[in-house]
Amino acid sequence: MALFIGKRMAFLVVMLFGLLIITFLISHVAPGDPASLAAGPDAPPEMVEHIRHEFGLDRPLPVQLGLYVMGILHGNLGQSVRTGHSVLQDLGDFFPATFELVTVSMLIAVVLGIPLGMLSALKQNSWFDHAARIASVSGVAVPMFWLGLMLQLGFALYLGWLPLSGRLGIMSAPPDPVTHLYLIDSLLAGQWDVFKDALAHIILPAVSLCFPALASIIRVNRAEMIEALGQDYIVNARAQGIGTFRTVAIYALKNAFLPTLAMIGLRYGWMLGGTVLVETVFDWPGIGLYATQSAIAQDFQPIMGVTLLIGVNFMVANLLVDLAYLWLDPRTRQAA
Amino acid sequence: MNSVPARMKALPLALALATAASLTMNAPAQAFEKTSQGNVLVFGGRQPVPNLDPSQKYDWSTRMLQQSVYDALVKYEGDPAEIKPWLAKSWDESADAKTWTFHLVDNAKFHNGDPVDAEAIKYSFTRTLKIGKGPSWMLSSVLAPDGIEVVDPHTIRFHLKEAYAPFLSFLPWWYIMDPKQVKEHEKNGDMSQAWMMEHAAGSGPFKIARWQQGTLYGLAATDNYWKGWPHKTHPVGIIYKLMREAATQRAALVRGDADIVEGLSPDDYQVVKSMPGIAIENHPGMTTFGVMFNTAKGPTSDINLRKAIAYAVDYDAFLKVYNGAATLEDSPFPAAIKGHVAIKDIPRKDMAKAKAYLAKTKYAKGGLTLDYVYVQGLEEERKIGLILLDDLKKLGIKVQLRPMTWPNMTALAEKADTSPEMMAVFTTPVATDPDAVAFQYAKESWGKYYGSHYLDDPELEKMIIEARQTADWAKRAPIYAKIQQRIVDDQPEVFGMLANRRWARRDWVHGFKFSPVHFTGEVDLYQLEIVPK
Repeated sequence: MALFIGKRMAFLVVMLFGLLIITFLISHVAPGDPASLAAGPDAPPEMVEHIRHEFGLDRPLPVQLGLYVMGILHGNLGQSVRTGHSVLQDLGDFFPATFELVTVSMLIAVVLGIPLGMLSALKQNSWFDHAARIASVSGVAVPMFWLGLMLQLGFALYLGWLPLSGRLGIMSAPPDPVTHLYLIDSLLAGQWDVFKDALAHIILPAVSLCFPALASIIRVNRAEMIEALGQDYIVNARAQGIGTFRTVAIYALKNAFLPTLAMIGLRYGWMLGGTVLVETVFDWPGIGLYATQSAIAQDFQPIMGVTLLIGVNFMVANLLVDLAYLWLDPRTRQAA
Repeated sequence: MNSVPARMKALPLALALATAASLTMNAPAQAFEKTSQGNVLVFGGRQPVPNLDPSQKYDWSTRMLQQSVYDALVKYEGDPAEIKPWLAKSWDESADAKTWTFHLVDNAKFHNGDPVDAEAIKYSFTRTLKIGKGPSWMLSSVLAPDGIEVVDPHTIRFHLKEAYAPFLSFLPWWYIMDPKQVKEHEKNGDMSQAWMMEHAAGSGPFKIARWQQGTLYGLAATDNYWKGWPHKTHPVGIIYKLMREAATQRAALVRGDADIVEGLSPDDYQVVKSMPGIAIENHPGMTTFGVMFNTAKGPTSDINLRKAIAYAVDYDAFLKVYNGAATLEDSPFPAAIKGHVAIKDIPRKDMAKAKAYLAKTKYAKGGLTLDYVYVQGLEEERKIGLILLDDLKKLGIKVQLRPMTWPNMTALAEKADTSPEMMAVFTTPVATDPDAVAFQYAKESWGKYYGSHYLDDPELEKMIIEARQTADWAKRAPIYAKIQQRIVDDQPEVFGMLANRRWARRDWVHGFKFSPVHFTGEVDLYQLEIVPK
């Protein structure tokens, strides 16, 4: 087991290094000059040169890459030309918001998706099954951007039940930062009003974001449950008079859940890097917006910082899924 | 208020007819936030303020907040924009426009109580020049730190390296910082650049109350602002809330989450202006739109082709892009620029002339394809591209629409060899002095996005330099009249239109004062007041 984790960690480092090199080359090959953009449209050439020198952009590409890698080894992800902040500080400011949003969103998807998938499988070809399948296809097909706007108009503007945008109401001060996740920090501080405010603010963006994951979970879980329910051990369990709930929720689900879990892991990693549209609509101050604005400004180091972070998230999510596989399925344990 | 069941019934309708639903809803509760001290005004804007340091950065949102927490020697106010005394109560200019002396007010104080004196002025100008970012380009060619003289605590004198008549016009953007506070936060000789990004050391009407990067910026009104307040009912605070989507801005205004918003689409302004309780600020702006030609390379280096295109364009269609909320350029200088004169023979659609000019080129029979490069996702520029495509077809010229990201466009504009044949360019002058526009057509502007024309006209160049070094306005004005005519004759661009600057506000927000020299979206927050109904 330890050897397996060790191998995976070593592989993760190699993957990250590859990701770093590719991102570095792509971002530096693209035309455009971040120093010129940061200096502003009226800046004379000497001012642009001054900024280029300050950020080390006047050095040869291999030197820039070498310095960047050395910086990472020392915990320095560089500096943003656009914001002027260290990339680490920017990521620290923006990533918790995205992490909180994606986690809540995935929770909604899992809590709704697994039971719906199960029920859909149990009531195969019923009206409920058809409705769930239509919903799961729509969930993937409907653009998040449009869905977000519709939810805003319906629930915030017309009904007035939920706030329009942001992480908190404008007059609410954020809770003292411990985890930087407002829902948790407000609970830790015993600030119930802030917790309720944060919860109200996260519902619409989390629902907008969760639909593709929800749809996939329903679809995969349904298919796997149908297959599991046809297996001999389930027939045997039923023949022995074991109750339906126990048969389905314990025996069948445990096997059907493995592919669903793999999909959840992949989706979670993907969602952490795919929030930009929802963040834009709901003014959610997360990493997606930061990445997009950096890309538009061709601000190399934030782009690489975000790419690395998303890469790490993706790989860690997959590692956790693999570990969960080992825990759930003894056969994979033996293979590892 | 509707009952819950009724709302539930209405939900599908609201989702299906979302836009219509937003129009039919009831008027919201008042948007401004009431606190025990008074009312807080909420401004919804699209652009963040990553760096508040007046020596490092300026753009519309940054400058709007800088203007609120800092003061300058002088300030632009009104329409037409005039330079008003502020920290300087008066000033003298030498006959050769090389020496400028400012006499300071004696009651101005920074937020920590330190006096705003000549030493603070000298420190602030020196800091901006030494850091070499933000507004430093405006004066760095004519002013060095050793040219700033403290005559006495209330008098400061600038000795310029050369005569520079537009000097005064840039000073409203050079904000004054408290040397004591700035020096206290210096680290590793950075002149406090890191600290000043999200903190202020100013004397302005507001001070920073909250700074949540990427979310909102909160300002609190100073109790005893040295200059006083224009209204008793001024807001006790301002919250600049980031709203990145026009649809969200509109919804926030309608719902009552924002008192004033900028950046709605032309269609959104049409919709919200008819809603009760919402007023539109609609003012002729100073941002010009032009289709810039590459005059140095390729087919558009032929002035006859440029003239042919300029006469083939349907200018009225340009105005329709903004639903009529725009005016055509009648000179390369916007009307708000000092010395503007309307040029009578500026091209308007005339197909006979267009064909006559085309006949003088080697493309008399057309058969030519020209690139039109514009900012990807900017709908107005795309629509103008479609207008060009349609109009130039009549001359046998095919237009290739090439959407690009802004960095890629500016990268192309850096060299004459790569500068696009036609490029969509919005330009906002930073000052009302005519040099701010005239200099865009000088050689020194080559390579910048507004200098993608690579216009090489020695006579024009000579006039531009002469005008900026002439102190006497009576002598400068005629030179600028000639410059405007000359630029039109050279036709480095299709002179397009000036889109109106627009904001949508709740009608309890009073005191809005437009000034064309402000950037797009920028509002003088000091002037606003809240008058509850």
